[in-house]
Formats: sequence, C-alpha cells, structure tokens
Amino acid sequence: MTQPILSLRGITKHFGGVKALTDVSLDLEPGKVVALVGDNGAGKSTLVKVMSGVHRPDSGTYQFEGREVAVSNPAEVADMGVQTVYQDLALCDNLDAVQNLFLGRELTGPWYTGYRVSRAAAERRAKEVLKRLRLDSISLTRNVGAMSGGQRQNIAIARSILWEPKVVLLDEPTAALSHSAAEQVGDLVRELASHGLAVLVISHDIHHFVLDNTDRIEVLRLGRNAASFNSKDVTGEQVVNAMVGGNEAVNMAG
Amino acid sequence: MTDISIPPTPTATPTRSLTERLGNELSFVPVAVGLIALFLFFATQSDVFLTSRNLSNLLVQSTVTGIIALGLVFVLLTGEIDLSVAATSGVASVFMAKLVMDFGLPVPLAILAGVALGGIVGAASARWVTLIGVPSFVVTLGVGLVLNGIQLLLLPRTGRYNLMNSGVDQLAATHVTGPMAWGLVLCAIVLFALVMGSTWRSRQRAGLSASFNAGVLLPVVIVALFLVGVLIFLENQRGLPMPVILFLALLGIMSYITSETRFGTYLYAIGNNAEAARRAGIKVDRIKITAFAIAGGMAAFGGILSASRSLGVSVSSGGGVGGGALLLESIAAAVIGGVSLFGGRGMVVGALFGALIIATVSNGLNLMGVANEARLIVTGLLLVVAVSIDRGIERLARPG
Repeated sequence: MTQPILSLRGITKHFGGVKALTDVSLDLEPGKVVALVGDNGAGKSTLVKVMSGVHRPDSGTYQFEGREVAVSNPAEVADMGVQTVYQDLALCDNLDAVQNLFLGRELTGPWYTGYRVSRAAAERRAKEVLKRLRLDSISLTRNVGAMSGGQRQNIAIARSILWEPKVVLLDEPTAALSHSAAEQVGDLVRELASHGLAVLVISHDIHHFVLDNTDRIEVLRLGRNAASFNSKDVTGEQVVNAMVGGNEAVNMAG
Repeated sequence: MTDISIPPTPTATPTRSLTERLGNELSFVPVAVGLIALFLFFATQSDVFLTSRNLSNLLVQSTVTGIIALGLVFVLLTGEIDLSVAATSGVASVFMAKLVMDFGLPVPLAILAGVALGGIVGAASARWVTLIGVPSFVVTLGVGLVLNGIQLLLLPRTGRYNLMNSGVDQLAATHVTGPMAWGLVLCAIVLFALVMGSTWRSRQRAGLSASFNAGVLLPVVIVALFLVGVLIFLENQRGLPMPVILFLALLGIMSYITSETRFGTYLYAIGNNAEAARRAGIKVDRIKITAFAIAGGMAAFGGILSASRSLGVSVSSGGGVGGGALLLESIAAAVIGGVSLFGGRGMVVGALFGALIIATVSNGLNLMGVANEARLIVTGLLLVVAVSIDRGIERLARPG
C-alpha cells in the first residue's frame, strides 16, 4: 500500500458536552480517491474541518508527509498543500472563470500601474490548468453565474488545485447537481487522482457517485470509524448498512 | 475586416450571446442609445439645442452631478450606498470657501483640504458601517444630516460666502483653447491607446486569441471620435471648459481603476459575494472604506466645482438640507447609467451617460418652454424605464 500523505490518528473533538468525533483515524494516499460517508451527524463535516484547520482536535495526531503537524488555522493548512472546497463554492457570479480562479491571488503589474491585473498571464495559466483537468469546454470569459451547476463545481475544484496542492478535500461536491453534472464532477475527481493528488470526497450519493469514482470508502457512524471498504469489492447495500449500523464494522481495505 | 490576430486555438470557447455581453462590458450601450435618441428628439423640437453654445452649457451642467455619481459608483459596486454625498459636497465646498475667505489659504490648498475632508467623511462613515454592521443607508442618512448642520455652522452670519474674484471662480471659468486643447485631447487618446494596446500585446505574447481591430482599433477610434468631436464643437464656443476637462479626466482614471486594477476586481467581487471575497483573502472592510473615501472625495470635488460655477456657497450648497435634487440626481445618474443598487454590476462610464441624460432632459425641456414640474416627472420616469430595461437584460443573460 502507498504511503499516506495525510494521516489522522485517534482524533477526538468535543463541542461542549457533545462528542462529535471519537478516536477517528483516516489515511489519504497520493493518487487515491477516498469517500467519506455517513449519516447526518456522523461527524463527516467536523472531520473535514479538522483536516482543513478550521477546528483543532482535542486529542489525536495529524501527520502530513510523514511528519506530525500542529494545525491551527485554515491558511496554514492551505499553504501546507491541503485545499478544501466547501459546499457553497464561494464563487462570484459576476466574474468570469479566470477572475474566479485567481480571486484574491491576482497576478498584477507593479505599484505604478495601480496593481493592474495581468489578465493575459492569468488566462494562459487558467487555460493550462483546465486543459490538464480535461475541462477545456469551460469558457474562460463567461460569467460563472451563467454556467451550469456542474461547471461551477468544477471551477471551484479547479481553483483549489491552481496552486498545486497535494491533497484536496471536497465537501459534498454533488449535493445539488443533476445526475449528468455529478458525472462530470466524478470525471474530474478521478482526473485529480491520476495526477497524483490525494482526494477526499464527502458524498451521500453512494450508488451513482461513490462506488464509481472512489478507491476506498470510509464510513463514519456517531463520530467513530464504522467501516472501511474497497470501492470495487462492495455493494451499495453493504455501505448503507455500515452507515446506519446494520452490520458489525468490517475492514476489507487492508 | 482583416484580422491581424493569431489564429484561434482549436479549443474555441463558446461565443457569448449579445444579451450576456450587454449585461457586462457593453452595459452602457442601451443608455448611450437612449442618449442619442434624446438628442435627436430635442434637435427636432428646438433650433437652439444642437448649437455649440447650448451643448457647451449642457456638458458643463452635467459635470457636478456626473462627478458625484462617478464616486458613488465605487460604493454602489460594493453593494453599499452613500446617501451623504450631496451633503458632503455642500460641507466641503463651504469648508473650502471658509479657508479661502476667512483664513486666506491659497485656493489650490483649500481645494485639496476640501477634497480631503470629503474623503475622511466617507472613510469614517464606512468604518462605522463595517465596525458596527449598521446598514450603510442608515449611517450615511444620519451623517448627511450631521453634515448639513455643520455646513450651517461653518457659514458666516450672512449665510453666504461670495466667491466672485476669490480665485475659486477661475476653476469653472477657465477655458482651454487652441494647441493646448488639442494637446490634451491627443494625450488622452494616446494614453487610452497605450492601455488597450498593452492588453492586446500581452494577450498576443501569451498565445491567446487577440483581435487588434476589436480590442484596440475600434475602441480607440470611438474614444478619439468622441473627444475630437467634443473639442471641435466646443472650440466654436470658448474652448474646452475646465469642468468638462476635469470630469473626463476623472472618468478616465476611475474607469482604469475599476476595470483594470486588482482593487477594481475586488469591488465587483465584494458586491456580488462578500463572503466569497473574504474567504479568498480579500480585506473586504478595507476595500469598502476605500470606496467610500473615493466617493466622499469626489463628492467634495463636485461641490467645490459647483461653488466655483455659482460664484458662492450658501445654505443651499450641496442641494440644501437632506441633499435634495442633487442627491437624487446623482444616484439617478449612476443607476440610469446601468449601475446596480444591489452591487457588483455596472461601469463607471455609466455615470457619464446617466449625468448627460439628466442634463439633456433638463436642458431640452427648458428650451421647449416646458415647466419645471414636467422636467421632474420626465426624469423620474426615465429612471424607472432605464432600470427596467437593465433588469430585463440581466434576466435574459441568466441561464435557464
């Protein structure tokens, strides 16, 4: 098995008296897509927020590239090479794809130009990135507000990988999408892994998304690791059973 | 037309529909068409309308509203509003007059001080808005009244500073003619061509599709025709009036800032999705404060220009208590020009067209001998029609 790039061990997180996560462990490997599934309140989002630096765990270790790291804020985690795409995407509908990709990180001219945006350089870079991700059908000059849900989701993901992270965390990328749009996102997720990124996807869409597009499925239940499956050796029913607690936890991932 | 651009790459991006472009970089086209229609209408109604003397007046009439609207666009783009711009223009002009008349400050210094006061007032209002989270229309409504009060305090017992022969009057009275005027226009055209040309060249160097005709030649020809047209028309009269030169220069600078710079991009981003902007690392509060400071400074300058034209300041400077017609017309100018009150949409050049439309209606109806009440009614209806057209275009540009 490949060496994990990001590794959590024994993560516990309380909110007041509520135990959101208890002794949770998770590994993400380069080139692999891991699905994080679980019922509402199972602790999926909390775990992603621990990984992205929004929450600090009460106990447990966070290892990145084999070294233990003390994570304290989201910017630090992003700089380290772990990018998170949240459900609301955080796109500006009145700006085009290039402007959204570079928002807050514009390439600009010197001060005496008033920090003029170097549009051409940004557009070329955006073009390269979208091409590498096989997203070249996305228009660079249309406002993203005029685009489909799947395209918007893909732009948000492309933005997260623009600065070459090693890990991408996707919070429910298919929640509001049609079946065909979800397929587009699935293609992109596998494309990211084929470029050597470690990808974590939270999804409820077991049958149409998770089984087809991920390598491993990690199930959380009531804030604990409930099961781990190889995506190709498992049925949707087995995953759902593990989510709701119908079966004992099984570990087939090895 | 021959195209000097490199051949388009095989991964051609889908072409954007006309409605989509009207919602973006061509958002000023409907109002420009409306302005031309108004011109044609009034030309048929009055022999005087198209004379260079009248058009010169019309242009100068539009500058005060136009300059205030220009600054207001920055605030509107971020999704906020500043209802104190007219009051700011009033208090700044009185402050400037007081510095000149009572303290003998040199005129340029007094003007600078007035503009700085406007900027500080704008920044302070915005600081309050961002700090406490009170809606900007409430804060600036209150600030406007406070400024009205201060304006009364600053005025002498006579209620008026007379600025005749004070030196301030020269600001509006100066006309630039001959080689100097041509030089200015040439400078403006060359600067504009340099900006457009550098965009084109950098796109070409980056191997991106770049059309010289559509990206450089056409815009430069349009701007050159407009400026040379204005110059030739006004040369017949007394030359280029200083207010018009200042308005157009500010328009150029502000257009560059909003459409070319990082700050400009942030204005649009914040107006559409402030939370997304914040998460992208943009210092939203700082950008908003800067936008309000620009609006305040521009309003102050508009007020000073107005004082210079009317040769004095009084209680009624800045539109009188509450801002009156000056406030409403400044907001209307921006909105008629296609700037959304909800933030994130519109262009600075819209302030020019909006202000020209308001001045044209006022001037044209005046020449036709129509009374003042009809002028107000027509301006109000125009505002509603302009915003309705704008909304219609926006709706068409949306998917589904």
